[in-house]
Amino acid sequence: MTVSRRALIAGLGSSALLACKKKAIGGRQVARLWFCYGGNNRVVLLDLVNKFNELQSKAFVEPVFQGDYFESLAKLRTAIAAGVPPTFSHVLGEVIPYLSTAGVLEPLDDYPGARNLDFVKALAQHGAFENGDKHAMVALPFNRSTPIMYTRKDMMDEYRLRAPQTWDELLSAAKRLYRSKQDGLRWGFEVPIDWWFWLAMVGQAGGRVIEPSGRITLGGDAGVKALKFWQSLVHEHKVMRPPPGRDFNAWDAANTDFLAGRAGITWTSTAYLRYIEKNAKFPVVTCPLPGDVKRSVPTGGTFFVMLKDVPQAEKVAAWSFLKWMCEPEQTIEWATRTGYLPVTNTAINRLRESGYYDKHPNDWVAYEQLEHADPWPWSTTLFRIERDIVNPQLEDAILTNRSAVDTLREAREEAEEPS
Amino acid sequence: MKIKARLFTSGFIHVLAGVVALLWLFPYAWMTLTSFKSFDEIIQRPTALLPGSPNLSAYREVFSQVPVGRYMLITLWVATAIALIQIALALPAGYALAKLRFRGNGLAFGLVLACLLIPTQMTFVPIFLMFSKLRLVNSLTSLILPFGASALGTFMVRQALLSVPDEVIEAARLDGASEFTIVYRVLAPMLKPTLIAIFLVSFVFHYNDYFWPLVMTTDDSVRTLPLGIALLREPGTGVRWDVVMAGNVILSLPMIALFSVSQRYLILGLTKR
Amino acid sequence: MMRPRKWSDPGWMLAPTTILLIVFFIAPIGIAVYQSFFSWDLLTPPKAVGGANYLAIFKSGELLRVTGRTLFFSAMVVTGAMSIGLALALLLNRRGLWFSFVRSAVFSAYVVSWVAVALLWLWILDPDRGIVAKGLHVAGVSSVKLLNHPDTVLPVLAGVTVWKITGYAMIMFLTGLQAIPNEVIEAARLDGAGAWSRFRFIIWPMLRPTGTFVGTTSLVISFQAFDVVRVMTQGGPARASTLFVYAIYESIFMNLRVGTASALTVAFFVVLLSLSWLQIRAWRQKA
Repeated sequence: MTVSRRALIAGLGSSALLACKKKAIGGRQVARLWFCYGGNNRVVLLDLVNKFNELQSKAFVEPVFQGDYFESLAKLRTAIAAGVPPTFSHVLGEVIPYLSTAGVLEPLDDYPGARNLDFVKALAQHGAFENGDKHAMVALPFNRSTPIMYTRKDMMDEYRLRAPQTWDELLSAAKRLYRSKQDGLRWGFEVPIDWWFWLAMVGQAGGRVIEPSGRITLGGDAGVKALKFWQSLVHEHKVMRPPPGRDFNAWDAANTDFLAGRAGITWTSTAYLRYIEKNAKFPVVTCPLPGDVKRSVPTGGTFFVMLKDVPQAEKVAAWSFLKWMCEPEQTIEWATRTGYLPVTNTAINRLRESGYYDKHPNDWVAYEQLEHADPWPWSTTLFRIERDIVNPQLEDAILTNRSAVDTLREAREEAEEPS
Repeated sequence: MKIKARLFTSGFIHVLAGVVALLWLFPYAWMTLTSFKSFDEIIQRPTALLPGSPNLSAYREVFSQVPVGRYMLITLWVATAIALIQIALALPAGYALAKLRFRGNGLAFGLVLACLLIPTQMTFVPIFLMFSKLRLVNSLTSLILPFGASALGTFMVRQALLSVPDEVIEAARLDGASEFTIVYRVLAPMLKPTLIAIFLVSFVFHYNDYFWPLVMTTDDSVRTLPLGIALLREPGTGVRWDVVMAGNVILSLPMIALFSVSQRYLILGLTKR
Repeated sequence: MMRPRKWSDPGWMLAPTTILLIVFFIAPIGIAVYQSFFSWDLLTPPKAVGGANYLAIFKSGELLRVTGRTLFFSAMVVTGAMSIGLALALLLNRRGLWFSFVRSAVFSAYVVSWVAVALLWLWILDPDRGIVAKGLHVAGVSSVKLLNHPDTVLPVLAGVTVWKITGYAMIMFLTGLQAIPNEVIEAARLDGAGAWSRFRFIIWPMLRPTGTFVGTTSLVISFQAFDVVRVMTQGGPARASTLFVYAIYESIFMNLRVGTASALTVAFFVVLLSLSWLQIRAWRQKA
């Protein structure tokens, strides 16, 4: 009994050690970075963080893995509410208007050099959001992407197909590429059921989810048309795989199928460019998404944000890292090793001059598609509509083939309710 | 003829039991086998029973992605602390409820019974709000304190003490033992099987607990092992099942080991409620 | 029962326990009720909205759907765990190392963490590389839905839950079986009662209290199901596996809707209280 009591006391002492949060390491200011990557992206980010930590001796960035975007965001919001936020993190673009309006993000304009960062307009806050420049800059573009179409050169040649330019061409290509179960199942087309891709099609059909007046229309007729097109691919033509899961499980499944030859064409993020090129046993060719009445793609991925409710010294340390990350060397390393878009014009020019894009035409397609990128509305409900309403409704409508009109009307009604 | 039939039945029952064992053991075996495969092998021959060239790379990967040692330490610490505090508090409370006559005894016992029916899934939202107001979210306190008092433990101690004769306590009082001594030195050793059972049930539950740490922690400073292992499933670029299964083995091994040495007490703890 | 030595003795003995129980079990329910009348996202100031949160979960049908789903899930888990648990108890209630080993094997699943079990079955049921999908493929079933379709996801999750908790049911039934005096069964055998009538008229009546107890316990366990949902499906596809606790979790942590989460918590409290009432009755019967 006495022994165990002593052990207990010793244990109590060590509990303080267990939970200790480092404020400074060897006299350096620690800044905690919450990140949400697995796989290759994680490796690249951690490489960069290590490099930064070795390069200078004032700041120390401590990366903490927090799960995928949604898990990490949930943790971030609860941590802010509970008063234990990290110094900085990276969050999905869709949630920035909400966080900015809630006043929990640090305005970055006045940090040294902040006004001189030459970001690619479509990717940075001032261009990625409608009226993004009318708000204080709270977000720096980090891993930015667009949806893009992945095809296989061998198959396109074999079936004598060209990159689909319209929805109809996509359908007919998918029909050609489809192979039945007897011949070894291959879906003609596969895309994760996520509002991001639906949004692209809404834009292509000439709609917008939220009107400039703030009214939530979910694309109106264009929204219905986009959903119907998906439903017809799955149920009527049976050339697209029914959605296999939620959130990143769905993305994962689409990638896996494409790589395994079980899907002829897929849409996914430019973010997976390196991953897919590296793991494909066939030549991969990217092309812009097809258009309908026009071309349109949303931008995606995350921005770096700093939290307001942390000590100034931590913010300064975080800023030194952020600024370093925006230098062309790092921007280029990040982009070329992952497939995300380089976020500064300097970086892109440098890549172009070095002949990088001649060797990697797939990257160039992604960059060129930015011409058709449409900005997000600056709306605080954007993320709630995506996560809470549209995503589950899309999944349901496509799985069960229920009326697209009803689905979106219901979603609209739900969106208009007060949160 | 009859003997033959009996033998046949007996053989059949043995085989049936074998099928049952297979149903429960095969998943573990599959988990372990997968953890020794390489990722390429899983992609190319997902159903091959045995790993082509068994290796530990998945385990290495787990250790490089997750600070297994630290998470394990936190987990063990939390589970042990909770179990010990529960016992330390349940002993005097159970003693007062079982042996002492005082006003409010019935009320206190009613409280214990009521709390028996309230699961943490019902209280986590308010408790999270409470801790976030006190800036205690993401701390060991938020993981341990809410479980400090166990209604079940108190109840079990009370029930066990009911069968201890009052004379034991009276004798100790005559010997001049304080109430504190009576509770912890005289009665506790007599309740050893019950206390071990309480400890084990509580320890196993909190070691495995995913829900509470998930809602109470925000980053990895007090992250427990089940959370860390669940995070091994990586987004987007193909789940590394070899790595996830290796994590799973690491997570379950201590429980399986504990189970194999203490099954008797665990069962006692579960059936004695 | 005896007199305390000092009037203050029961005080110090009970104080820590009662305070902790009140703070962490009783008070939270009050807080939940209070918060359910506000609309709050944790970050911006709360707004008093009266009963709007309740109205919203009623009107949108969310409450009904979630409750229905959870009851459906629970019904499957309870029937599965009880019938399989009883069958295993009868099968394995025999002497010998082999049976003792098999009993341990079944029971061990109860001790392993839910996370490990969920991840393990996620791998086994993986639609592309999982061993079940491959097996079904060989058997000629080529479109494997399992976790990926709203119609099949709950039965699959229930199956995993049954696999996990059947060991518990089995152990309870075994304890019950062992409490039945052997002579009673032997006497019935000598009277010429066959296996079925022995079970039907002797064993089952004596196991009934245990059965009620196991039933209500697994009902409560299944009503609190969260880990399998969170790890295996995140409530999908199309919310088909959003069970009660996951709905609460999602509304507060994913969607930051404290009011909705609190209203759901209160509803959960009411539903669970009625179930617990059943449990208490079963307990009384057992005692």
